Amino acid sequence: MSNTETETKTESDGSDSLITTDVQAEQNDRSAPSTRTAVAARNLNVYYGDEQAIKDVTMDIPEKRVTALIGPSGCGKSTFLRTINRMNDMIDICRVEGDVEFGGKNVYDPDVDPVALRRKIGMVFQKPNPFPKSIRDNVAYGLKIQGFDSDVDARVEESLKGAALYEEVKDQLDSSGLELSGGQQQRLCIARAIAPDPEVILMDEPTSALDPVAASKIEDLIDDLAEEYTVIIVTHNMQQAARISDRTAVFLTGGELVEYDDTAKIFEDPEEQRVEDYITGKFG
Amino acid sequence: MATDTPSEAGFGEVSRVRGIVFEYLSLGASVAGLLALGILLVYVAVDAFDLANASPEWLLTYFLTLVVPYLGFCLYSVGDPTVTRRAVAALGGGLVAVAGLFVGIETFVSPIPRLNWPVAYLFVVVIPLTAYLTYVGNQGRVGAVGLGLIGRAVGGAAVGLAVGTLFLVFDQFVWFLAYTFGVFPAVALYVYARRSPSSRAATAAPVVGVVGILLAVFARETISTYPSDLLIFLWTIAIPVAVVGERLVTARGGRTAGLLAGGVPLALAVAGGFLAGTVGLPGPDILVVVALVGTAVAVYLQRVIEDGEGLAGLALPVLLVAGPLVGALVVGAWGVPAPDPWLDVGFLTEAPSRNAVEAGLYPAIVGSVIIIAIVAVLSFALGVGTAVFLEEYTAETGLVGTLTRILQINIANLAAIPSVVYGLLGLGLFANLLGLGFGTALTVSLTLSLLILPITIVSAQEAIRSVPDEFRRGSDAMGATRWQTTKNVVLPEAMPGILTGTILALGRAIGETAPLIMVGAATTVFSAPNSLFSKFSAMPMQIYAWADFPQPEFRYGVVAAGVMTLLVVLIGMNGTAILLRNRAERGS
Ligand SMILES: Nc1ncnc2c1ncn2[C@@H]1O[C@H](COP(=O)(O)OP(=O)(O)O)[C@@H](O)[C@H]1O
Ligand SMILES: [Mg+2]
Repeated sequence: MSNTETETKTESDGSDSLITTDVQAEQNDRSAPSTRTAVAARNLNVYYGDEQAIKDVTMDIPEKRVTALIGPSGCGKSTFLRTINRMNDMIDICRVEGDVEFGGKNVYDPDVDPVALRRKIGMVFQKPNPFPKSIRDNVAYGLKIQGFDSDVDARVEESLKGAALYEEVKDQLDSSGLELSGGQQQRLCIARAIAPDPEVILMDEPTSALDPVAASKIEDLIDDLAEEYTVIIVTHNMQQAARISDRTAVFLTGGELVEYDDTAKIFEDPEEQRVEDYITGKFG
Repeated sequence: MATDTPSEAGFGEVSRVRGIVFEYLSLGASVAGLLALGILLVYVAVDAFDLANASPEWLLTYFLTLVVPYLGFCLYSVGDPTVTRRAVAALGGGLVAVAGLFVGIETFVSPIPRLNWPVAYLFVVVIPLTAYLTYVGNQGRVGAVGLGLIGRAVGGAAVGLAVGTLFLVFDQFVWFLAYTFGVFPAVALYVYARRSPSSRAATAAPVVGVVGILLAVFARETISTYPSDLLIFLWTIAIPVAVVGERLVTARGGRTAGLLAGGVPLALAVAGGFLAGTVGLPGPDILVVVALVGTAVAVYLQRVIEDGEGLAGLALPVLLVAGPLVGALVVGAWGVPAPDPWLDVGFLTEAPSRNAVEAGLYPAIVGSVIIIAIVAVLSFALGVGTAVFLEEYTAETGLVGTLTRILQINIANLAAIPSVVYGLLGLGLFANLLGLGFGTALTVSLTLSLLILPITIVSAQEAIRSVPDEFRRGSDAMGATRWQTTKNVVLPEAMPGILTGTILALGRAIGETAPLIMVGAATTVFSAPNSLFSKFSAMPMQIYAWADFPQPEFRYGVVAAGVMTLLVVLIGMNGTAILLRNRAERGS
């Protein structure tokens, strides 16, 4: 909590000085460390019934960076992702302890409306899931449910451009989103997620159902998205994590966050032997 | 060594006998069932239209003036010489085969009652071939245009007649007030809000509507003078329909076309309504029918003409009207004896009578239409509502989950309860306890709604459950509320399935007699019901009563005519619903 607040202050304090410009210039250069935290977990424990899926996780996720969550299957990566936009609320037996801070507030506070929260956090799923509606209606969905009436077409176009899909579909905006190829569908889902202009985008293995060419397009896109959004991506593809992320968190079985550092550090010189074993393929 | 064996002995053979036996047994059973049903329907139709007394000359005349031109139209639309050759071969070969077989059976086996070979030819060859050619003709552009036009006209007329029928029972003055003070201002406000960027007005629209309608209900008693029915229908139905038509066409084809498409049908409807009134026909009904048919046709015509393809299809209505006229002229001039069908205009528009020739089904048709309308609305709204609640809003675990499961099992069991029991329930609950009266439209409708509610709920649940969860999760993750997800994603996807279930259930409701007997519906009423609380009958009840009459004219002729009418209404209803469903399927 305090962490986020002080950082907010730093930024607003310096907003009219020259240094800010530098800081902002630096922020676009993603190799430099981000100065602000977008999402933070504090002593987070998640249970499904009696089974623990996330064990005492504490981490700060930087703003406008790509943070990758890697780890073997079943180690709780998706569960962690879903705690951030409270999609776990949909699972009856799921119980969350600890805090997840976003926008200077614990999203599990009783006065937080999960529906309102999700309007600020976009999500892209493993299997592309465009709605059985036209491409236009898919992208405009978030705008529609939030009651935006003006400039819908312009925002649809902008979001499709943002998802690097516009050129391919501009002549068929009224045809069904389900008629697109898998990779295009996934980019449509990304366009849908960014249309209401969220702050954070969560991606749960967004390329694992796609062929390599489509996957690499999405990877390029993720790189661009980090200019404007905080991207948190779950992947089981280590090369992918190494290629696209700035920070990497390694979860291991039992829902433990074993190591969390700059991506380069994790892949070149991890502190933990278990992480090194996992990355080099000795287990997992 | 061992590797040599297969190449010498082949791979052996795996027995498929059981599968083949099963396949042919089930095929045989279905064909036998369909054949039996087909023969039954043939006899019903023969009786209803008195075809047993149709002379070969009479049949030949109409075959040449109506059937042959229509088949020619379909073949022209298909535009494929092989299909034409096959159709001609089927007509010719069928003629020889049916005539030969028929005569053979009559001479060598036994005479076939109430059939002659031309009628057999009609049912075995001509009707199936016509249906088939209609189907393939509809694939061609010309045929699609022609049949589309006929469909618009028939659909418009059916809706118009149904609206007219509903106002026999529902108070048109309440509707007039509700429209003037509620519906009209609300729609106007909404349209205004959509045009200008003031979303406040849009949210106010439903409120204005509800307040206006409530006001109307209270004002009904205090206001005593009302405009004539003709003016009410003009203001509340014909003009709005014309405006919708005008808007649709203007959006596609510009101002002039829009004004024509809206204005011409309206003018015709007004003229028709007033003129009909002066010669003693029901003017308001004619106004509504002409307005609906005219606008539907006008909107369709504009689209077809704009596309500019298959314009020859527009001649189809001319063909279908001219054919029977020419046929009637020829038959009249030739002096050929014509059959005297039981199912004629009089049968549809007159009250039951002791005299078979004068007997009519009109009050029962009105009764059935009203019940079906109420049952459709009630069971659809309640069924979908309950299904949405059970599927989308209740938790799966805990106390609520257990309760839901118990409820679930009970609903499934309710679907299997015999309809007599529902009749008893309706008698106790609606007629006695709530005092809605014995055999009134309201009691019967509520009872039948209850009867089919489990079926609609279960099928709607099935449809809702078949919507993939990933759509829901996608919508939830966008920050949609439960209701927004349901309304925007789940229901549109589930709608085709929901409609199918509702259609099947309604089909059951329209044919029920047992619960009607239980709640005391009359078997025969002599005037159409004029309020929700008047005594009334339904088609199956009336048919059932006729079947008990001692005179054979009733048992054969009048009952057959009634059954035919019931079937046509049922098929029309199901056809409409299937069209709606296909449209919903294409929309998604
Ligand atoms: N809906 C659920 N109900 C019960 N257990 C679950 C559910 N989702 C995940 N789990 C359990 O939580 C653990 C972590 O799962 P998950 O977060 O999906 O892992 P990952 O995404 O890393 O493969 C697993 O042991 C899994 O069985
Ligand atoms: Mg996962």
